[in-house]
Amino acid sequence: MTPLKPVDASTRMVLGLAFFVVFVLLWGAATLGGMVSKTFLADPITMVRSGWTLMTEMGFAKDIGMTVWRVVGGFAIAAAIALPLGVAMGAYKPIEAFFEPFVSFARYLPASAFIPLLILWAGIGEAQKLAVIFIGSFFQLVLMIAVAVGNTRRDLVEAAYTLGSTDSSIVRRVLIRGAAPEICEILRMVLGWAWTYVIVAELIGSSSGIGHMITDSQALLATDQIIFGIIVIGVIGLVSDIGFKWLNRRLFPWALLGR
Amino acid sequence: MQALETPSPVAPPVRTAPTREPSNPFLSIRGVSRSFAPTLRHGAPTLALQATDLAVAENDFITILGPSGCGKSTLLRIVAGLDRQTSGEVQLEGRRLGGPGADRGMVFQSYTLFPWLTVRENVCFGLNERGLPRAQQFEIAQSYIRKVGLVGFEDHYPKQLSGGMQQRTALARALANGPRMLLMDEPFGALDHQTRELMQELLLGIWEAERKTVLFVTHDIDEAVFMGSRVVVMSARPGRIKLDREVPLAHPRHYLVKTTAPFVELKAELTEQVRTEVLAAQAAAV
Repeated sequence: MTPLKPVDASTRMVLGLAFFVVFVLLWGAATLGGMVSKTFLADPITMVRSGWTLMTEMGFAKDIGMTVWRVVGGFAIAAAIALPLGVAMGAYKPIEAFFEPFVSFARYLPASAFIPLLILWAGIGEAQKLAVIFIGSFFQLVLMIAVAVGNTRRDLVEAAYTLGSTDSSIVRRVLIRGAAPEICEILRMVLGWAWTYVIVAELIGSSSGIGHMITDSQALLATDQIIFGIIVIGVIGLVSDIGFKWLNRRLFPWALLGR
Repeated sequence: MQALETPSPVAPPVRTAPTREPSNPFLSIRGVSRSFAPTLRHGAPTLALQATDLAVAENDFITILGPSGCGKSTLLRIVAGLDRQTSGEVQLEGRRLGGPGADRGMVFQSYTLFPWLTVRENVCFGLNERGLPRAQQFEIAQSYIRKVGLVGFEDHYPKQLSGGMQQRTALARALANGPRMLLMDEPFGALDHQTRELMQELLLGIWEAERKTVLFVTHDIDEAVFMGSRVVVMSARPGRIKLDREVPLAHPRHYLVKTTAPFVELKAELTEQVRTEVLAAQAAAV
């Protein structure tokens, strides 16, 4: 192996899949070989079987749907407000000076610590779940988008001015266009974080969703179901990640050049 | 536009210095200086550019030479409206200049093509700002893409181009916008020697055909003499105009002009002048 030498696409895929196989083999060896008690960790075969039962007989698909809806809903609301605010903060320094200190402070407030308060305010319905996702992702998004927009190369802005751009077209045609791939990348990352918040929100005061199933299974010591639930989250995360990356490549082919 | 913004009827004070001053210059720089706020709390402000006068006739190609840090780029940026003078004023066709505008196209030393736009879209940028119909934009862009020799690269992104090609696109982008004058801040400074010479010929060819007024900053004496119809030398920081020479070479100029006697003579004189200033700048830095 040579440092930093790239591997081709097919080798990369094979290597990536290989570790999943290794992981499952180790897990199987530990559980089926009797090294770990079934009470604490189910083996892969039982996990797949009870996963099948969950999906076909216990309506787990509906739970997955609920969870996905909550994440996407809360995240979409956060993004819809964070995008214009972040762009405004990145572009106009007085707006940044006004919001930035508060947003920086709010960003460190743990979203999960708001859950008891949110239950008090919004009950245990959907509004509470969306609010947790919103708090968890909004402040992060605003700050990161503001930084991405604010980092626009000054010489590009100057070039646009000498071509007759007005202030508003600098924002539209230079700042936003230039920062767009990075903003897309920020959305991808923060969506990943939103997934961790939704499960926490569902662990407490919920009657549906993946997190709810996991809490229920804990009471029954059904580690097979818990693991299935966790894996489902992982798979959905992976799919959305791949989707975002694909979208990014399609929308911004120029950003990948010369990397 | 004269009707609306009539310059003050009071004649400017009679000035003694330059010999060939057009009475109503196309671009006039009058008493323009620039100082920067002190970096230390109790320090004195740094004077980058002393009060400078320069009158530019229409269709002139003026090259500005000087040691690095002499304020020549600052002067150009003030004309572009990207930097603000501490005193003095700049007028273009009798109109006082404030901020940047499409009437002064600029080509920078750094590569400033928009990386998210193709060559064609980059060249169309200014036309698009003016809201021209798409078909017309493409037509104008195509003619300039042809002039800078980039036919076949219209759909390439800047990162797929060499440095020389990027600067050719930047030139096409500035020209396509139909500016009244062109400001160039060491546009070929980052290119290798061979590419740079070809770019000089390309730009000179375009200028000979269009006679656009150009203000061209460089530290390359060969370039200054070869391109300019007038060469201006600036002193070490704080900069001021020290020498103003007409270039006695007829157009169109072939690159072989670089070996002729008038070229070599002027180059020798300018080399001496610039060298003095570079030495002065170094002495000041110690």
